[in-house]
Amino acid sequence: MTSRFRLSTALKGAVRPPENDSAWLLDEHRRAVPGLSSMTRYRDEDEVDLLVVGAGAGGSTLAQRMARRGWRVVVLEAGPFWDPDRDWVSDEAGSHPLYWTMKRITGGGDPVALGKNNSGIGVGGSMIHFAGYMPRLHPSDFRTFSEDGVGSDWPIDYWDLKPHFERCEMEAPVAGQYWPWGDPHGYPHSPHPASLQALTIWDAAHRLGIEMRAGPVGIANGRMGNRPHCIYRGYCLQGCKVNAKASPLTTHIPDAIAHGAEFRAMSFATRIVLGAEGRAAGVEYLDVRTHLQHRQRARVVAVAGYSIETPRLLLNSAQAGHPHGLGNGHDLVGRGVMVQGAPQVAGRFPHEIRMYKAPPPEVSSEQFYETDARRGFARGFSVQTVGPLPIGWAEHVLAEGHWGESLREYMRDYNHWAIMGVLCELLPLPENRVTLAAEMDQFGIPVAHFHYTQCDNDRRNIDYAKGVMREIWKEAGAQDILEIDRYAHLVGGCPMGATPEDSVCNSDHQVWGIPNLLLADGSVFRTQGSANPALAIQALASRLADRLARGLVDLDAPSARHVVPARRS
Amino acid sequence: LAREDLPRQRRGITPQMLGRYPDFDVLDNSITGAWDDATRGVVMSRLTLGQRALEFFTRDEEPTLRAFTDLMLAQDGEPRVPVVEMLDLKYTEGKLEGFQYEDVPDDRLLWHEVLHGLDFSAHSRYGVNCFADLDREAQAAIAQDLQRGVLTGGPWDTFNVRRAYTVTMAAMVTEFYSHPWAWNEIGFGGPAYPRGWMHFGLLGATEPFEGHDVLPVDAARDTRRRGLP
Repeated sequence: MTSRFRLSTALKGAVRPPENDSAWLLDEHRRAVPGLSSMTRYRDEDEVDLLVVGAGAGGSTLAQRMARRGWRVVVLEAGPFWDPDRDWVSDEAGSHPLYWTMKRITGGGDPVALGKNNSGIGVGGSMIHFAGYMPRLHPSDFRTFSEDGVGSDWPIDYWDLKPHFERCEMEAPVAGQYWPWGDPHGYPHSPHPASLQALTIWDAAHRLGIEMRAGPVGIANGRMGNRPHCIYRGYCLQGCKVNAKASPLTTHIPDAIAHGAEFRAMSFATRIVLGAEGRAAGVEYLDVRTHLQHRQRARVVAVAGYSIETPRLLLNSAQAGHPHGLGNGHDLVGRGVMVQGAPQVAGRFPHEIRMYKAPPPEVSSEQFYETDARRGFARGFSVQTVGPLPIGWAEHVLAEGHWGESLREYMRDYNHWAIMGVLCELLPLPENRVTLAAEMDQFGIPVAHFHYTQCDNDRRNIDYAKGVMREIWKEAGAQDILEIDRYAHLVGGCPMGATPEDSVCNSDHQVWGIPNLLLADGSVFRTQGSANPALAIQALASRLADRLARGLVDLDAPSARHVVPARRS
Repeated sequence: LAREDLPRQRRGITPQMLGRYPDFDVLDNSITGAWDDATRGVVMSRLTLGQRALEFFTRDEEPTLRAFTDLMLAQDGEPRVPVVEMLDLKYTEGKLEGFQYEDVPDDRLLWHEVLHGLDFSAHSRYGVNCFADLDREAQAAIAQDLQRGVLTGGPWDTFNVRRAYTVTMAAMVTEFYSHPWAWNEIGFGGPAYPRGWMHFGLLGATEPFEGHDVLPVDAARDTRRRGLP
């Protein structure tokens, strides 16, 4: 299989992705996933082969793979099944329904904004409103403790995931220039043209000796099946009405449904039910419209609710034999949740830039990704273009303390500003964790409390990265500079590992002690690198599916044991 | 740059008819083929919100709310973006952001508390019962202390005041800059589906149907020179 993927990357999009017809199953003239009226429907009392909680990057990829193998699959999703023509708009404020807006409490020394910043809802998950960057993790990301003395090592390595990075890149498809960083590689689609903002940043960075490259973005450059090419309208973060940007809704769900998977929308999972011998037997969920409770039976349960809701569900599933929640025998569920430091720096130019044109993700650099001892901290960051629309720009102006007349004046200056951002690898810390709050949601279920505080290495990384951005703007001739501190993405919270004492699940994503309960989302990350996480979440789910299909995951073992993978040098 | 130096809007509407794109009206682009129906429906519905009767905010809160939002958004005359009515609709519908900081209450309760607090400070500092009864200078002094997080007494002692500033300001600007009149003021091209953009690279960043900035004053330098916050 691997050699076939390598060959196809060299052929630049000429080869159709293997065993996934999603782009060809979509309608040429309508954006909605066709065939919903004839989608397989299972009854709650049917014991399906796989019940997935969460129809995002991880859950949808796993569902598609296993449906292809003939497994009877149901995916529970708390939000709606989107029809992009009807439900999505080219509008910032009007895109509010795409975000997870049920209550969560956020705190700690450096509290993290959630909602539109990093949390999606509905079939397709957060990738519906992600910017589109789909970089790979670097080989070093899996061994930060061994190599740099920080974070921890994964129980798998880059080479275990590489075939799945390649396969998911074909499915997206990812467009970009040949990638010189990490494990160097090409992309299936050629790079998109660059906007004036991207060209400005690129030119200045180049003069400073900082290499940038176009991409890597999960946006079709040219037609793919019945998915149209990008029209550069710039509303990637509001849901792609064009179907050019990758999300599970365009890349995996059509094929999953064609192979008998059911995506059950408006179904909010509240509790994992254990049966005989302490095995997962199904999931209790609420129909969000009727508030009626259901219980779906299943042979295997996979949780893919992301780094806040996955720990919340495990903690809310406390029952006999598991008084502190499932998989939480060593008080690790919810610990080590990571966000990336994502400050942005804006530069002002005498001419108009109009950064709202073209997709916000355009060009990026991973030149600062790896540890460089001279910088005074471990690990690094990536540099990327971002292109905030007016409300996003207003957040920059507010962050600098402006209000009233000066707020309005900075806002009138919008078309003269260009903005770049970084993603700083912040370290996994056990104190940064999700717990249950005293407060209940509208269904009477305790909500998540997310506590987050940076460590010194994190602060040094962010400071240094902001300095690099300021240097680029000075070189570009920016007249003035604005800065905003913020975060992006979520991963971790239920790390995979080698032993029950250091992790929540093993390298086959099985929760320790409950062999048929899997975690198939970004919560299993042990470290995060400086890469946007979508591709790695999909690749992990793809690898898990591959191992399930080949019978390599012992779902019947009384207590799942760690299998040490063969280490390649 | 004083606001009197800005050109009067000749085409379309901007808040207080100020702006740097006097001949650009984003609504000219709302035609079918440039904007899709779903987007047009959502954007156009904002144009009639000014007539909405308040449900979430009380009659007692209304003068303080109007004075506070006018001050923070520098809306000192008509036409105004109806931020008060837009916020009222948002909280009546129970639209939240998906996270609540642990040091402030729920957004809805927080708004009531902040308005109550502004009246409290107006009374304790100037002896008037309502924030709206203060002149602009006195209102601005209280607003500045709200921003710095140094207001004390009454409701201000029950939550993180600085955070309350951040949360309420973010809510205000989200409504203000979602309104097409504000897009006219700043020259934002607006929705672009299904038409998309033709020019976004070096060949020229402006489409034939966009306006030009006729007074490219640098906001950073100018506000500093004028001593604005």
